[in-house]
Amino acid sequence: MDKKTALYICTGCGIGDALDIEQLKEEGTEDFTIAEIKDHPFLCGAEGVELIKKDIEEEGINTIIIAACSQRVNYDVFDFGPDKIVDRANLREHVAWSQPAGEEDTQMLAEDILRLSCSRADNTQLPEPYAPEEEFSKDILVVGGGLTGMTAALETAKAGYQAILVEREAQLGGFLARMKQRVTLPYKELTETGAEALVNEVTEHPKIKVYTSATVEKIEGGPGVYSVDIKSNGDAVSERVGAVVQATGWVPYDANKLGHLGYGQLKDVVTNVELEEMAAAGKITRPSDGSEVKNALFIQCAGSRDPEHLPYCSSVCCLVSMKQATYLKEQNPEGASYILYKDVRTVGQSEDFYRKAQEDGNIFIRGEAVNVGEEGGKLFVEADDELLGEKVKVEELDLVVLAVGMVPASKPVTTPRIKAPADTEGADEQGMIEVLPDSGFFANSALNLAYRQGPELPTLKYGFPDSHFICFPYETRRTGVYSAGCVKRPMETAKVIDDAAGAAMKAIQCTELTSEGKAVHPRAGDTSFPEFNMQRCTQCKRCTEECPFGAINEDEKANPLPNPTRCRRCGVCMGACPERIISFKNYSVRMIGQMVKAVHVPEEDEEKPRVICLICENDAYPALDMAGIKRMKWSPYVRFIPLRCLGSMNLVWIADALSRGIDGILLLGCRHGDDYQCHFVKGSELAETRLGKVSETLDRLALESERVKFEEVGITDYERIPKIIDKFMEKLEEVGPNPYKGW
Amino acid sequence: METMINYDPTFAEEVFQNVDAGEEIKMCMNCGVCAGSCPLRHEMDYPPRQIFSLIRSGKRDEVLNSKSIMLCTSCYTCVVKCPRSIPVMDVMHGLAHYAIKQGILTRKLTASFGGEFWNQVYRLGRVDEKDLPRRVFFSQGLVEGIKSMLGFMDIGIRLMLHRRMKLLPEKKIKGIESMRKMLDKAEKLGKGGTVA
Repeated sequence: MDKKTALYICTGCGIGDALDIEQLKEEGTEDFTIAEIKDHPFLCGAEGVELIKKDIEEEGINTIIIAACSQRVNYDVFDFGPDKIVDRANLREHVAWSQPAGEEDTQMLAEDILRLSCSRADNTQLPEPYAPEEEFSKDILVVGGGLTGMTAALETAKAGYQAILVEREAQLGGFLARMKQRVTLPYKELTETGAEALVNEVTEHPKIKVYTSATVEKIEGGPGVYSVDIKSNGDAVSERVGAVVQATGWVPYDANKLGHLGYGQLKDVVTNVELEEMAAAGKITRPSDGSEVKNALFIQCAGSRDPEHLPYCSSVCCLVSMKQATYLKEQNPEGASYILYKDVRTVGQSEDFYRKAQEDGNIFIRGEAVNVGEEGGKLFVEADDELLGEKVKVEELDLVVLAVGMVPASKPVTTPRIKAPADTEGADEQGMIEVLPDSGFFANSALNLAYRQGPELPTLKYGFPDSHFICFPYETRRTGVYSAGCVKRPMETAKVIDDAAGAAMKAIQCTELTSEGKAVHPRAGDTSFPEFNMQRCTQCKRCTEECPFGAINEDEKANPLPNPTRCRRCGVCMGACPERIISFKNYSVRMIGQMVKAVHVPEEDEEKPRVICLICENDAYPALDMAGIKRMKWSPYVRFIPLRCLGSMNLVWIADALSRGIDGILLLGCRHGDDYQCHFVKGSELAETRLGKVSETLDRLALESERVKFEEVGITDYERIPKIIDKFMEKLEEVGPNPYKGW
Repeated sequence: METMINYDPTFAEEVFQNVDAGEEIKMCMNCGVCAGSCPLRHEMDYPPRQIFSLIRSGKRDEVLNSKSIMLCTSCYTCVVKCPRSIPVMDVMHGLAHYAIKQGILTRKLTASFGGEFWNQVYRLGRVDEKDLPRRVFFSQGLVEGIKSMLGFMDIGIRLMLHRRMKLLPEKKIKGIESMRKMLDKAEKLGKGGTVA
């Protein structure tokens, strides 16, 4: 497209008072071809927007640079349709609100910001949405037919989309069908499970196709274009779907490992799941002789919150034991139920059920079981009572129940081993290595994705498929695959129902966005996608390795095979590629490189250092905006270049910048590690790893390592950012100016 | 081997049946707010929540012989603060009454003060500020009684100066019969009853 660029400077919000606008128009744009340059005191007002629209119509303007507030605000006001390129220069939060008015440095900063924007607009092309040859499917595949799976399928169908439900067992229902009753809102009394009615509703719904005794043999393709091979009762079926919900549920923790609590040795020591099944079948009796149960003791956290067994809390076992104590009370009002607990964790409103359990006269003992034994045909439990500070013994027990926790069905019993490439460190004689939970090869078979990065969802350390509890609870590391229910984290039925509905909605959203060629969270609506200049590819496999979402497969010759609908547009592949052959229409190595070059670097004797700050657009940039809104001050020598993800950072930018005389490079990215906040999971971590190799560049240029610094910031860290900048500037002052200035 | 407490719910049942507000202790979740807010916790051998734990585990002697149940001054702080709305104070008084009824007099003076207070209110409809201490102090014997009385002389003089205490014996209030009816009814409603 032939670009006709116009620049609009807003002089409202203090911008006009802080800067010399006429000088800005002249100095900031002299390196670029701009057709129209206008200013307006209230650009986001109706009159200002009208001014731009008029120019678009009359002058044929198609590239618009708005020099006003942050790109994170008023984006809806400055939206002139998908066929226009709009770029935003942040003169408000980054200049007018954070720098002293009328000073030379402030003016220079604004000019550089304008140059960065002009350069970016220059190098931006209009993205064209991806449209495959085959038609997009909007059907949703739900794997697992328990409460989560059935709810997800039903919610999908109710929203008007076709759902395909695959259940491994011959019957739908999962654990719900094995329960006697459940505890749910409003947590005052026990509720019927409603399993039968739900199964009927799902089976009879015209928009739900149910496969029982079925497994997913293979899922190929990407969101919108998945083709699924299902094996049902021995028959092979093929389906096309748009997105997948994984609801494969949980299994109880293996009580055979809890021999120290008498399981396997004493017949009347059972797990909570066994007790539930006994209750659902009719009557709770002693497994040893089938006699009545009068007194029972529940051992909470049996194996849970124990580094040797399950290190986490399953959050539901307390409620389950109280529910089961209620069964026993109904069966024999004379009996006593003891609940031996570490901490009662009845989350939220379910505290009401704890009250009910107390009112019913169940006896709560805070402490840890040390011994379970048998005396005269009855059981006894010895425990350390924390409140009395003494050892206690409960005798005359008919039944001891171990409240075991939930293990995600995705977690394998033993860590799988796979064939490693030749001469991998740590491989055994057959060339096999243990896989990490972090990889797609760890989890139990459920989806069988035909992905180069492994057949299943990568998991977190306890085997739950990756998701970020607070920021993006449904997102996994495979676009279009959403986990829900107890496979994601332990939860009770009320939360399962909410979670399943949420996952179904996310899956629908994914198919809709994909069908328009748009990205899903967190760059929802982005129509760009990576393009590969294959002539120069060296088959190094870095892009296929590093893509956090497994979007890139490879052929036999190790050429990358991108799947555009799997892509989240983070640009990690772009940062990884040593040949720099991957680029987006509106985001490329060249574009940022040009922006770095657009910054004017003053001569050494002017004593005005220049720092380029590559800043994550998702968390660090809004945090910086917030610092501006709070009128915090920082050095006027820093030029911020927002990146889609710090993982898209290419080392060539750093080398370019330093060889041009830029004094320092600051990188602000998200926190990584176990509690990562990176929107693209691995991006900021990859950036830091890559930065480890920057020393080569610095050595080659004979520069000090202090000139490049990586900092992790969260979105709430706005107080810290000015301090980080100030500290970095102090350090640079010690190191002295970059000797390459003026070259 | 260290001593082991055998959990025995029979004492808890006894408390539920016989102690005022006794069944309320079921609701205790052992957060310890009562213990933390009690102004007399330093004097107590067991803080309230531990008393509840002891009841649940069946340690009858420890509970009924404990000083704690006699020490409550009815300041109501625990009642206000208890997140489970347990009337902790009522339970403590209930336990004290129950212990005294069982003939356990851990703090004899406290017990006799309570008894005399009730008697006087029942008899006069009010408290005689000189008669009540006299009866309580001399219940310890003549010499102890004189010593205690002398120790309170200052307070006595000040009470008289402020006309809070008369030299002559107090008279019954008007309508004492109605007052007694109320007290009788209250006694019937409670499980523990009065201690005279």
